[in-house]
Amino acid sequence: MAASSNRPSLSLPGSGGRSKEGILARVSNSAIVQSGTRAASSAAFVAKKLARSTGNAAWIAGTAFLVLCVPLIIVMDREQQLNELEMQQASLLGTPSFASSSAPPATK
Amino acid sequence: MGSSVSHAAPPAPPPPVASPLGLIPPQPDAKESESKAEEKVDYLNLPCPVPYEEIQREALFSLKPELFEGMRFDFTKGLNQRFSLSHSVFMGSMELPQSAEPVKVPTAHYEFGANFIDPKFMLFGRVLTDGRLNARAKIDLTDNLILKINAQIQNGPYSQGTFNFDYKGKDYRTQFQMGNGAFYGFNYIQSVTPNLSLGTEAFWLGHQRKSGVGFAARYNTDKMVAAGQVASTGLVALSYVHKVSEKVSLASDFMYNAMSRDATASFGYDYMLRQCRLRGKIDSNGVVSAFLEERLNMGVNFILSAEIEHAKKDYKFGFGMTVGE
Repeated sequence: MAASSNRPSLSLPGSGGRSKEGILARVSNSAIVQSGTRAASSAAFVAKKLARSTGNAAWIAGTAFLVLCVPLIIVMDREQQLNELEMQQASLLGTPSFASSSAPPATK
Repeated sequence: MGSSVSHAAPPAPPPPVASPLGLIPPQPDAKESESKAEEKVDYLNLPCPVPYEEIQREALFSLKPELFEGMRFDFTKGLNQRFSLSHSVFMGSMELPQSAEPVKVPTAHYEFGANFIDPKFMLFGRVLTDGRLNARAKIDLTDNLILKINAQIQNGPYSQGTFNFDYKGKDYRTQFQMGNGAFYGFNYIQSVTPNLSLGTEAFWLGHQRKSGVGFAARYNTDKMVAAGQVASTGLVALSYVHKVSEKVSLASDFMYNAMSRDATASFGYDYMLRQCRLRGKIDSNGVVSAFLEERLNMGVNFILSAEIEHAKKDYKFGFGMTVGE
């Protein structure tokens, strides 16, 4: 905002003093460029604010995730591993008993 | 026994009644009486409700773990079957609810405790190095009447003592409380259906000249527990716990205080796994907390506690160890 208001005030004395304007001054004084710079600066302002609030939100969400979900994931993963281990052991130890139980029908 | 007999008796009459056409009118009566008898049988064998003060216990278990900041170490040693000693060290910061903003004060204390546990007679004592003493006793006077004594002694005017007489009926419970400061309380809870129980309480604080009444309802099935409580002090508390499986339960609660006009709601999970118990919670004030109890070995537990409040920039992390029991 400050930049867009500064620019005309700087170039205005020049244009007032001289009847003939340089091509650069004429370009920078044109309405399109002025509105463009204004739009760009306000866009930058909004983008900065947006980035900051997104960063803040991401920080809050990330820490909440770290506290709430990460332990849960680790714990569930270990529980599953334990379950698998138990299944393996059961299948290793369980086969003889399963074979013995299936043996009587085979002898029949 | 009686129920099965009375239940078996009514079904016999209808067939002879139904076959003669002239005797149709009595049929509905017979059915009505049968259903009434069934209901009566049902309503006479209601289960005993939970005690009034434990009406929200499932939600409390899941949503209110003992979060702390710092380090704690608890050690319990049983000397014999009935007698055990406990030692506990805590180092960290504690919040003192001073004026408007709570102030964190670094503290360290040691707590010594002695427990005597007998099925009919229990005694618990705790002494802290800063002079606080807490003593509890639970005595079974008869099978149904239990006397509980609780005393808390500390420096300053906050010492208190209470006597509770709990009477457990077949489908109701009642309690009479008596405490210092001329505090008298009475509550009663009754099972209305096998799932629903309703309760009421009344209390009188003599020294502060305050009195109040409260009502509570609890509905529980094997999958869920819903409880609600209203008191004339302006407190409304509702809670709902859903058991997803035998290891996992989800809980939520809502609390409204009409005096201070603030309402909070929270939602949490409670995972009870083979080697650990994990409880997490998020509430409407933006407080996120988690509490992990990890079983390292038989009788050795490792505790991690975390609580984050971004709004106040208040972060609390703690770890601890529990040995014994």
